[in-house]
Amino acid sequence: MSDQTVQDNTPLPDDPESAANSEANPEPARLPLTGIRVIDLGTFLAGPHAASVLGEFGAEVLKVEHPIAGDPMRRFGTPTKRHDATLVWLSEARNRKSVTLDLHQPEGVQLFLRLIGKSDVLIENFRPGTMEAWGLGWPELSAANPRLIYLRVSGYGQTGPYRHRSGFAHIAHAFGGLSYLAGFPGETPVLPGTVPLGDYFSSLYGAIGILMALRHRDKSGRGQIIDVGIYEAVFRQLDEIAASYGLLGKVREREGSGSFVAVPHGHFRTQDDKWIAIACTTDKMFERLAEAMERPELASSALYGEQRKRLAARNEVNQIVTEWVGSLPRTTVLNRCLDKEVPVGKLNSIADIFEDEHFQARGNLVTLEEPGLGEVVVPGVTPTLSMTPGRVHNLGPALGNATYEVMRELLGLAADDIKRLRQRKII
Amino acid sequence: MSTVDETELPLAGILVIDVATVIAAPYCAGILGEFGAEVLKVEHPVGGDICRRYGTPTARGDTLAWLSEARNKKSVTIDLHRPDGVAVFKRLIEKADVLCENFRPGTLEKWGLSWETLHQINPGLIMLRVTGYGQTGPYKDRPGFARIAHAVGGIAYLSGMPKGTPVTPGSTTLGDYLTGLYGCLGVLMALRYREQTGIGQYIDAALYESVFRCTDELAPAYAMYGVVRERHGPTHNDFACPYGHFPTKDGKWIAIACATDKLFVRLAEAMGRPELASSGLYGEQKTRLENRHDVNEIVRDWCGSLTREEILQRCFATGAPAGPLNNIADIFGDRQFHARRNLVAIDEQDLGETIVVPSVIPRLSETPGKIRHLGPKLGQHTEEILEGLLGMGKEEISGLKKKRVI
Repeated sequence: MSDQTVQDNTPLPDDPESAANSEANPEPARLPLTGIRVIDLGTFLAGPHAASVLGEFGAEVLKVEHPIAGDPMRRFGTPTKRHDATLVWLSEARNRKSVTLDLHQPEGVQLFLRLIGKSDVLIENFRPGTMEAWGLGWPELSAANPRLIYLRVSGYGQTGPYRHRSGFAHIAHAFGGLSYLAGFPGETPVLPGTVPLGDYFSSLYGAIGILMALRHRDKSGRGQIIDVGIYEAVFRQLDEIAASYGLLGKVREREGSGSFVAVPHGHFRTQDDKWIAIACTTDKMFERLAEAMERPELASSALYGEQRKRLAARNEVNQIVTEWVGSLPRTTVLNRCLDKEVPVGKLNSIADIFEDEHFQARGNLVTLEEPGLGEVVVPGVTPTLSMTPGRVHNLGPALGNATYEVMRELLGLAADDIKRLRQRKII
Repeated sequence: MSTVDETELPLAGILVIDVATVIAAPYCAGILGEFGAEVLKVEHPVGGDICRRYGTPTARGDTLAWLSEARNKKSVTIDLHRPDGVAVFKRLIEKADVLCENFRPGTLEKWGLSWETLHQINPGLIMLRVTGYGQTGPYKDRPGFARIAHAVGGIAYLSGMPKGTPVTPGSTTLGDYLTGLYGCLGVLMALRYREQTGIGQYIDAALYESVFRCTDELAPAYAMYGVVRERHGPTHNDFACPYGHFPTKDGKWIAIACATDKLFVRLAEAMGRPELASSGLYGEQKTRLENRHDVNEIVRDWCGSLTREEILQRCFATGAPAGPLNNIADIFGDRQFHARRNLVAIDEQDLGETIVVPSVIPRLSETPGKIRHLGPKLGQHTEEILEGLLGMGKEEISGLKKKRVI
């Protein structure tokens, strides 16, 4: 599979049953997706992250790429000494083998259909119509393999008037209603956290669809199509925004660092110019905060004991908390809040995260040794399964590192044929 | 939503007990329910799930968030603080396939419902445990909400104007939904493993971990180069330019994302200034990143000279990646949302009003998920389940009721 060190990045020290805990036996004999072959024909992250999760839990993932340039994600993000791999590629193309194949050439398409015949899942994220233009529509794919499960992710989905528009997560955040909400009221809307959030969301829905479809296939013997628009995945995150507009005509606006549901619920600056988050979702939480502030009277029914009253007096309550937090260093605020069990947390930068003992204890940062690059640290597997924890066994592969193996062993091509295909740049 | 026989849905015959609160673990149960599982929401007899009070109240009392996110569930009230309640709960566990919970670590154990006990009662049981910090590690006992998870997991620090106050990354519940999604993946994988081996397992999901998992190369870039990513404001991306939000002449906003050089060519064409994409000017990402301010200024001037609709039409004509920053009113008027039926209006007799909620995603061609009904009333199905599923007699049920165990 790979000459890299096998790492079990999800230790479960409390779980003696799990064979995966043992250093000597870092991987259970069987993972949930052992024996499942996934073809990842996508680019960047929307869709491919689904392949990553499936790969973490045992599936074999073949990344099919154009022979010349490969996935553009190889060039997106911070470059490394490896000319075909940025850091994004190394982390997010984890657990894959790379197979080059030119689908603009008829012979490439024929080989691809043979590969589909040997696979369980196909993931792609071209603009709708691209696969069909190559002669790889659903009729051709399902003729090659009636059991195929086909995840299609695109900016706007496979149907509807905008289906042909180009879509990235950034556009989907805007179109799906998330970007409008990020920033201060009346001011410039900012990027909500990270650039590819919507790519992860849409991939997660896609992976869920694939697992559902696998169950259905076990019973019926038939595959099916999963159609995800990135914007839909973003929109689905927005709790009751649709219901409250539908019922009350309320248009939610940007809320700065706060929230419409609760007060105090936001980000506050500490005396040493750092930031903490406080979330008093319920009255009980506010009572605890008032105790931490040594002002229990604030939580009386006459003052701000009820969420309704705090929402009505949002500015005054936030001002009181802002002043208290601003009068103390971050560590002091945190400790006082934690003593009283107030929901509180540091706004961690990545430097904070690397120092954090909890991230260490949970194995959230996994280190792999990459030839020529040394140690590369990437986020570990989530979620953690007690019997069959997932694993990161290799980082983003070199372009075409498994082309020969797949053509020879999986498709049974002769060495001469493979040589000829290479010369014609079909593979 | 479809004509598919419910017994053909992927999770038909799966019984899910959702004893969790608010959104994260319950959202996992919600997805399972959309695709055919029967979901029993087990709630405290007084007040029930606090999600019933999270957000905007309706005439019935339960909030809109509850009505939408407790879709397809049946409500069964059981007081787990009472031994009689625990006994009833154990009988439900015998029949269940999946349990979703989000108590702080140690709570179920205190009630005599540890994983070991539950696993013994039902060796095939799959248990999703969602907490702020997970079941292990030094912070496991701290209270956690998505807001805190956004902070701890690193995305709150990244949201806002450079050096300005960090803002909510769009919505305070992102981390809940994300964790529901990862949790649901865990449950589906564990179901698959159980089918092969007969053995159940538990899934340990932490809100902050799901958030952290969505931070692309934040961790590898710090480890390799010591780069600490800061807040980006509206138009900053380390890898692509122009990339951000730009105001239009009519006081609205659009998003533009030129992730590759080809996309910038299309934008330059849309602007009627193809020369901008020449190699002498800004044809290459590297040059655009070095001249970020100039490039953004050019795009900003152009956007400011036209209405949102004009900009969008010109971008779509050349295939430049652009989109409106929709508010919810825009979304309700949008053809794509309607064509994809992303909004579904549900009228239920006992509500006396029509409620619009987001429909099911992902969309499966053979076995599409469905919304059968919105969030139930507290205890609406207690008797049905105790009688029908557990075979309890009427007397036993009324005895439990009198003691307020159910």
